[in-house]
Amino acid sequence: MLRSVLASEERSGVTERPGFGRHPVPDGLAGGAIVAKKGFGADRSCYDNIDWSGFGVGSNVATVDVRDGKLLRIRRLDYGAEYSEEELRPWTMRRGEKVFKEPRKSCIPPFSIAYQKHAFSHNRVPYPLKRIDWDPQGERNPQTRGISRYERISWDEATEMIAAELRRQYELYGPGSILLQQDGHGETKIVHPCHGAMVKLCELMGGATIQARQPDSWEGWYWGAKHVWGMEPLGQGRTANLVHDITQNSKMLLYWGCDNETTTWGWGGQLASLISFWWTDCGITSVYISPDLNYSAAVHADKWIPVYPNTDLALQLAIAHVWLTEDLYDREYVETHTVGFDWLVSEVTGGIDGIEKTPKWAEERCGVPARIIKALARKWHRDATSTCHCNGGSYIRSCYAHEPARMEVVLLAMQGLGKPGRNAMKFIEWNIYESPAFNPTPRDEAIFTGFGGYNAALLEASERFIPKTLIPQAIMCTEPVDWHGHVICMMPREDQFEHFQFPRPGDPHIHMIWSDAPCWTTCWNGGNEHIRALRHPNLEFVLYQHPWFENDMLFGDIILPVASRFEVEDCGIDNQSGCFNTILHSPQCVQPLGEARSDWEAVQAVAEKLGLLEEYTGGRDVEESIRLTFEHSGAAAYLSYEEFKEKGYFSAPHVEDWEEDHAGFYDFYVDPERFPLETPTGKIEIYSVALAQAFPDDEERRPYPHYISCTERFHEYREDPRREKYPFLLESNHPRWRVHANFDDNAWLREIETCKVKGPDGYNYEPVWIHPLDAARLDVKNGDVVRLVNDRGWTLGGVYVTERIMPEVVYQDHGARLDPIEPGVSDRGGANNLIAPSETTSKNAAGEVTSGYLVNVEKVDVFELARQYPEAFARSFHADEGVDIDNWIIGRREGV
Amino acid sequence: MKVFVIDQARCNGCFACQIACKDEHCGNDWPGYQRPQPETGHFWCRVAQTTHGQIPKVTLEYQPLLCNHCDDPACAAAAPDVVNKRPDGLVSIDLKAARGCRELVDACPYGAIYYNEELELPQKCDGCAHLVDAGEIPHCVDMCVPEALRFGEEEDFAAELAHAKTLPSKGGAKPRVYYLNAPGLFIAGDVYDAVRDEVLVGATVSLTCPDGRILSTVTDDFGDFWFRRLEAGAYRLAIEAAGYQILTDVDVLLERSLNVGSFALAALS
Repeated sequence: MLRSVLASEERSGVTERPGFGRHPVPDGLAGGAIVAKKGFGADRSCYDNIDWSGFGVGSNVATVDVRDGKLLRIRRLDYGAEYSEEELRPWTMRRGEKVFKEPRKSCIPPFSIAYQKHAFSHNRVPYPLKRIDWDPQGERNPQTRGISRYERISWDEATEMIAAELRRQYELYGPGSILLQQDGHGETKIVHPCHGAMVKLCELMGGATIQARQPDSWEGWYWGAKHVWGMEPLGQGRTANLVHDITQNSKMLLYWGCDNETTTWGWGGQLASLISFWWTDCGITSVYISPDLNYSAAVHADKWIPVYPNTDLALQLAIAHVWLTEDLYDREYVETHTVGFDWLVSEVTGGIDGIEKTPKWAEERCGVPARIIKALARKWHRDATSTCHCNGGSYIRSCYAHEPARMEVVLLAMQGLGKPGRNAMKFIEWNIYESPAFNPTPRDEAIFTGFGGYNAALLEASERFIPKTLIPQAIMCTEPVDWHGHVICMMPREDQFEHFQFPRPGDPHIHMIWSDAPCWTTCWNGGNEHIRALRHPNLEFVLYQHPWFENDMLFGDIILPVASRFEVEDCGIDNQSGCFNTILHSPQCVQPLGEARSDWEAVQAVAEKLGLLEEYTGGRDVEESIRLTFEHSGAAAYLSYEEFKEKGYFSAPHVEDWEEDHAGFYDFYVDPERFPLETPTGKIEIYSVALAQAFPDDEERRPYPHYISCTERFHEYREDPRREKYPFLLESNHPRWRVHANFDDNAWLREIETCKVKGPDGYNYEPVWIHPLDAARLDVKNGDVVRLVNDRGWTLGGVYVTERIMPEVVYQDHGARLDPIEPGVSDRGGANNLIAPSETTSKNAAGEVTSGYLVNVEKVDVFELARQYPEAFARSFHADEGVDIDNWIIGRREGV
Repeated sequence: MKVFVIDQARCNGCFACQIACKDEHCGNDWPGYQRPQPETGHFWCRVAQTTHGQIPKVTLEYQPLLCNHCDDPACAAAAPDVVNKRPDGLVSIDLKAARGCRELVDACPYGAIYYNEELELPQKCDGCAHLVDAGEIPHCVDMCVPEALRFGEEEDFAAELAHAKTLPSKGGAKPRVYYLNAPGLFIAGDVYDAVRDEVLVGATVSLTCPDGRILSTVTDDFGDFWFRRLEAGAYRLAIEAAGYQILTDVDVLLERSLNVGSFALAALS
């Protein structure tokens, strides 16, 4: 069904300027009879999963009320609207007299409520755009990307040009010259996925080079811990039934670099918050180890242990030192469940550097007083303790992140990993890969899949690919770039040993980018280098399709406008919220804005120009996609498709005997021979023979965990001489008020104190947390503007003086919207990924390093900067939403 | 009588209430009840946040603030024809009579009333009266996942309200939004043996309050002690541990929450 394609062709003409908030649209919305109980005042209510996982499976199921063709309000889904308690089988946790009942309404985060402000923000691309000095028949001017403005073209013109350029690329270079950036987080949809719709079209033409996305939020687990405890494919621990286990058995929780009040909001929701409240109710001590008092520590911490970014390894080694010297570990478990313990003993008592890793030694490196390290070590030994994680931050995605990750596994082993109350909890991505092993909440009877009718490529190994972390180098390379592994986050451990290069012999270099994920500059490792790559003469054509004009798109040649989730009919799956797994049909809420089409429809329009439309869609339309999704989801075992459409959603029950499920690593603890791990020996491999054989010369990731800091690769540590020039460590976790780079322009979120800081020029800067001692030294106060600078460039931030950050560390969320001052050098928006190291996790681990690196902080006079960079500072901006799209689009301000 | 009951110990600071208010009212007209709220700038429900203490003894306090639906509203006293104290206790503004009544903004001692320049109308939380009259609950309450915000009949909350506080009554307004578990201020610190470089667990810490009461606690497994829910004033600390010299007469002037630091006790020889 090419509904929206046809509809928007007919609607072409002057587009109504996307206004603040809700826009009026005519009736005639897709999705059939509406079944959700109408909210007060609504004339239409639709189910939707308002989340940003982006891979066809998410969370955050909600009800969208619509009135007069506009969004009226967002509500939580009442799971009981169509199903009885007997059918849903809600869980109840108990500890003594205390009771914790599964919520009967979806625990959606504030993001889901506020998302409408972004969905219809000023920054929506209203119609197809072309960079004015990009002429496919003449001069392409790659050097002016990021500077030149855009003119309006029609869908017909745009798709004609794209089709011609695709043909040209294949004729001139053969397959492989087109790089597809087709992954990442964004609106979770199935019929109209936000990523990867173009892959199939390029496959039909002979193939392309795929951007392979590494496990970007849990790098250390993947590149380090996986070699110790296996745990395919994540490298993170088995979490099955851990909410129950911790409730019953744990006495202390170590939230290590974990912010489960923030990171869960994009895909997961707020059950994680309720679980932390519950564990406090149960009398369990919550200890937070992190450079910042993050948003979870702010609410749930009994104890905050500040640690310098990316020095957790020193703290861990010192804990092991206490256990070894005071004989406070489980010798028998170590003997029966691990191999290579001698290597750890050797490392702690001296190792190749000959330094004993005492608490005092660690204190100097990590900033935690030795007496606290000793107290923590003894308490950890005495009290049943589980670690808690939620991805992101310096613990797991800084330089050599594999070391703290695998060292943690060793520590857990020393206290008997898998014993009741002693496991590794994770608050996000429950049921990932449809596996109950990674779901700490009561087991679901059904884990739905969303791929039966999914209209885009899945994450899988490709013939031609480049790791996402190496994209800029690959675009600009003169010699081949090489690395190990397919780098896709679900590959097995052995895959990390396979060698690859770009370009492969006989393959072309990259000459075109087609991207639906325009946030490399604001989310990855060394955005300024990526900007240089985007302006490289090798790149003849850069194509973006996306709803909003932001970030990498400032460097595009053609831009296609894409519709938000509220504007299309789709279906959705929630497996990750911890409440009842749900599959739903989400009818179209409102008409597409301007000339927007869904990603799938946009690619269809290109396919049509190439004569490939039938092959591309396979004859599948929206209705067929939803039906296929349902039939292959696992829900068909419960109800018919007709009944599903009639009810609008289906929520699966939990199993009846979930309390009997063995939690975490319990089976391995009880019988490691019968329940071995996925390592070569089946044991916890403190020394990995496989790593030793694969990389005998790797001194960065040795076969066993070891202390490492300043090296040729990284000069990002406090003990590095470079610190004289750049005295602060920048900590940058997943953002509180965004999902990565998503919805930085959200007017309702930007009003919140920690979201933006209003500078003296009225511009809302990305906050930089500075401790009062440092603020005094730097002579800055709240509302001042500072430059975060290192030898990779600089960005700006608004000063937020707070006790929530350690002295000599500054905190800034990542993902703020790019507002370049000198493209490739400097930025006003606070997009600190621009100045993150380009180097990957370590020599043979192609992960990202985007937190825990050195910067200087300098007070700036924004009015002086405005004189110095008049063009950038003259850009108009909305106080509510940030820099204005009209600065780049010719005639738009005038309503053309 | 309808009341809002807000449990600060259950507030996780997600700001869903503040955003839900905008969701319900920005761009939405509720005839007879409310005209649309401006897209930004009004906070009929506002989450105030306060950082307490100093590193590493730091906590955050979140306090959702909305119209207090006072028993004797100062706004009603200032403009009796404009403000309506409904029989169910909610305080609402008459849309017609209020037009141009800018002075209502300053009449509220809690800053809960905002002026809509475009509509020339003072506006504030009316407890989502349009929803309440339809048998539903205010949108901010409905969207509060940890159920820190609740709304209902006063008698249904009677047991809890015995422990609740309202904001201070200003000018006899008698505010009626109830807060449970307000954190107040804290005094925290830790105790250790500097010679052995060890924390001291189980040390007795006594706190003499301004009214002469003496509170007592023991240091935890990290040598930490916490006295919470204190009011401002002059306090005095004493620390005692077996085998160590007693530390007395540590004066603490409490104006904001304090990490009073690390106390090294000297071992008895």
